[in-house]
Amino acid sequence: MAWSYFSSPATFYRLARSLAPWFFALAALLAAAGLYTGFVVAPTDAQQGEVYRVIFIHVPAAWMSMFLYFVMACYAGMSLTFNTRLAAMMARAIAPTGAMFTFLALWTGAFWGRPTWGTYWAWDARMVSELVLLFLYIGFIALANAFEDSRRGDRAASLLALVGLVNLPIIYFSVQWWNTLHQGSSVKFTGSTMHVAMLQAMLLMTFACWMYAIGATLTRVRSVILERERRTRWVRAL
Amino acid sequence: MTHEFYLWMSYGVFALAIAAEIAGLALRKRQALKAVEEERELEAQD
Repeated sequence: MAWSYFSSPATFYRLARSLAPWFFALAALLAAAGLYTGFVVAPTDAQQGEVYRVIFIHVPAAWMSMFLYFVMACYAGMSLTFNTRLAAMMARAIAPTGAMFTFLALWTGAFWGRPTWGTYWAWDARMVSELVLLFLYIGFIALANAFEDSRRGDRAASLLALVGLVNLPIIYFSVQWWNTLHQGSSVKFTGSTMHVAMLQAMLLMTFACWMYAIGATLTRVRSVILERERRTRWVRAL
Repeated sequence: MTHEFYLWMSYGVFALAIAAEIAGLALRKRQALKAVEEERELEAQD
């Protein structure tokens, strides 16, 4: 079976319906394991006390905000290059979840920053570039819905998504390029400086957020497909 | 402020955001299905 078989909205609609509940279930299981590890197994931090446990949702939210933007931009690029309907729909379906994770990264960061740094917000390169990411998501959603003709909206929003890609390396490397209040990465591809239980909790929560994001995207794309294809024969026959 | 306050404000808002998104997804699905139903009725009238 060719991979292009699933690029048809009709086929993908059915595939998404069967897959989404599994991703939600997996997300719930991983979140339960992550919360147990984070609150029961992981020890109290010697310097920050209990409040450090915010990182078990802050870091996954921040990672997902960047990862989802990258995936959204890939779909936007596919939509512009190959003019595929489903790619544009996927980009539209990812954006709200990405925006939510970006907001949560900023929010939880503020509530971690207050007791540890003494402030909710600083005009720091990492925080400002993450805020710019939130504006990019909001801009994408607004632009995609600003046109009567949805295909024009897709093209305009896709262009913005691709231009906004430049912000991702800025977010990631901001703690190295500038002298920021935000600390450098504790987890790298080469290893981690964290306690193993803390790392496990953070990774479990990251996978939970990842599975949730896939489930939410698949659920939303089904609605987008119905909205866009409601005049087609296959949708009327549902 | 105690550390519990910061933890509750973080985890609480996180859970609320997820709950709001799930509710939004269900609402959007209902509206999309309603639009399809209206389209079917229009076709039946024609």
